[in-house]
Amino acid sequence: MKNTFLCIFFTFFLNINLAFGDDSADWLKEEIDKILISYQNVDLPNENRFLMIEQTINNNFAGTGIAKFVAGEAWNKASKDTKKEYVKNFKRHLALNIASMMQGYSNQKYQLSESKIDKKNKIILIDMEIFSETGSLVVTWRVKKSKDRFFVIDLIVADISLVVTKRSEFNSMLKNVDYNLSKFNEILFNQNNESYQKIIN
Amino acid sequence: MKSKYYSLILVLITLISFNLYGSASDQVTAEPDDYETTKIDDEIYDPIEPINRAIFSFNNAADKIILEPIAKGYKKLPSPLQSGISNFLSNLRTPLVVVNQLLQGQGENAVQSSGRFVLNSTIGIFGLIDVAEKVGLEEKEEDFGQTLATWGIGDGFYLVLPLFGPSNLRDTTGMVMTMMTDPINAYALSEGEAWFVPMRTAANAVDQRSKIIDEVNALRDNSVDYYAAVRSSYYQNRKAAINNIDDSELTPLPLISIEFD
Repeated sequence: MKNTFLCIFFTFFLNINLAFGDDSADWLKEEIDKILISYQNVDLPNENRFLMIEQTINNNFAGTGIAKFVAGEAWNKASKDTKKEYVKNFKRHLALNIASMMQGYSNQKYQLSESKIDKKNKIILIDMEIFSETGSLVVTWRVKKSKDRFFVIDLIVADISLVVTKRSEFNSMLKNVDYNLSKFNEILFNQNNESYQKIIN
Repeated sequence: MKSKYYSLILVLITLISFNLYGSASDQVTAEPDDYETTKIDDEIYDPIEPINRAIFSFNNAADKIILEPIAKGYKKLPSPLQSGISNFLSNLRTPLVVVNQLLQGQGENAVQSSGRFVLNSTIGIFGLIDVAEKVGLEEKEEDFGQTLATWGIGDGFYLVLPLFGPSNLRDTTGMVMTMMTDPINAYALSEGEAWFVPMRTAANAVDQRSKIIDEVNALRDNSVDYYAAVRSSYYQNRKAAINNIDDSELTPLPLISIEFD
């Protein structure tokens, strides 16, 4: 059953037509596979599963760029060390968000339905349809190429951008601490610890 | 046993590839100032935020205690039954969808939705089976809030309604208009079957909630400010619905550059 699912998954990913999109779709397929494999292996402890997701995300998301964007004006005021600490916290936060979204994964089928290039912004948009027994959901990956590598810059689920939502959410909290990134780091660190406990238990 | 062995090998390969990727990314030099942002409206007009937050907390508690457990129970029903209920409720909304499509000048969509209603109500056994989808008549949702927006009426301020959740002044007006003009509810009331209206509202809530259990939990468990996250999500979702444009084209595009540690 698991092997059949993997075969279907691979077959769908091979049906992307655009040349540029082809490479990015292949790359995305490989990276998603890594995460899925960790969920298909029921014997894998939750800590290890999360570690795999975190490493995949750290390697393939434009974590630092997203972190800066999300921090908004608070970024410029912060010291170098604070920024470094914030980026570290943010990357973990991102991984926890993705891991949490994957909690309900139960071998659903996926299909890369469309791949387009936004020439104006030089980004690739890859639509992925996730099927469940009662319907389907489209997730759009926004991907950017840099130095011959692809990086995810945003994830859109049901018309909602993860990055835009995080920016709005962080901005609301940063306002309460006078846009002090150092104070915000404490909040983010505590939130990450809380989320991590929920993920591993 | 064989599939377990297969999975183990794949996991090992994956772990090895992580290390390779990790070292590859570390060797790339950093590019300072290689970043810019678009001017996205960070501030949503929310002048009664303290009141909204209080109602939001109440709704959140009600969701955890009542709605989420019921939605989880509903998810355990056989999937054809869930689909049937969902299709039935969706079909009941269609007459008002047609009205709103006409009010927005979407003649072609109105004809399609009317076709959907006729097909699903007859061949689809009172809307339980979505036969229209199978013949290419896709479901398209429109409501009075979207119609008012199309007519140029702005959002107004952000509102959190008790039990109904996130909204704004325009969409709340739209919701009241829906309640007042819904022909199915009007028929039920005229027949002395008033129980049908709250029952239908509750069934809609459970059906919709059951579709986003994991997404809501992910947002709730990982937000530094859950209220702000829901507010932003609501506005993004409504913007997409109002403009009827592909989500990836519509959502404001953060211009994020790639940086290396």
